[in-house]
Amino acid sequence: MFNSLDISTSGLIAQRTRLEVTSANLANRYSITDAQGNYSPFRRRMAILSTGDPSTGSSEGVHVRTIEQDQSDFRKVYEPGHRFADKDGNVNYPNIDPAMEMINALDASRAYEANITATEATKAMIQSSLRLLA
Amino acid sequence: MIQGMFDSGALPALERLAQFTESRHRVLTNNIANLSNPYFKARDLDVKSFQAALTQAIEDRRGGGGRTNGPLHVRDTAQLFFRTDGITAHADEIHENVLFHDQNNIDLERNMQRLAENTMTHNAAIELIRNQFSLIQMAIRERP
Repeated sequence: MFNSLDISTSGLIAQRTRLEVTSANLANRYSITDAQGNYSPFRRRMAILSTGDPSTGSSEGVHVRTIEQDQSDFRKVYEPGHRFADKDGNVNYPNIDPAMEMINALDASRAYEANITATEATKAMIQSSLRLLA
Repeated sequence: MIQGMFDSGALPALERLAQFTESRHRVLTNNIANLSNPYFKARDLDVKSFQAALTQAIEDRRGGGGRTNGPLHVRDTAQLFFRTDGITAHADEIHENVLFHDQNNIDLERNMQRLAENTMTHNAAIELIRNQFSLIQMAIRERP
């Protein structure tokens, strides 16, 4: 009876994770060193979604299978005086395009809203069938 | 005679259901209260084992003769201890989600879904109990 709620919830969790990944990308747009301070520009992260929901063991719904790193080239910025500049005076910055991230954020939040709407509809349906019973 | 009246039909099962949803509500709201508490692990009561215990109790009451009244004797499960005046529950930690950086594993969405399900079930149980009581009242007054 509560199965469609499980599906909508799996969608909510997946979209929230996507939004978290996007936020992390935007926040790390200028991170060129890792947590230990070594030169290692942040790579853009991507949430990979798959069908099925392992937390309920159902083949319906969706889940984040893995979070992968975008292997595209880093953004080169000419900063000859920078301590991490290469021999041409370029510094590698993360391969993150804020426009793309904003679109992904908007898409994820719209999808989240759609799942909320589906949840509300399911709840209204369950409640009206319970009214029929009681 | 009074006790027999309240032990008839679905009333004892509905009473147990309302007690269970009340206990589960306490566990789920506790999860929400500890949403940003580091090292907190979400807890839940197992609905399936409660339903299995209740089904077994109803089967036992029927006893092959199709009896529909008499007290229900629900057997304790790993988490639930059925007493005459209520249920004592010991919720277990659930390990379903990846840990966040603060070692807290609550999926807010999943928790809210469970809360909504639980509330709806509780309301249905209470509404059905109310119906049964109005039937008893009708019988006492001998008029609708």
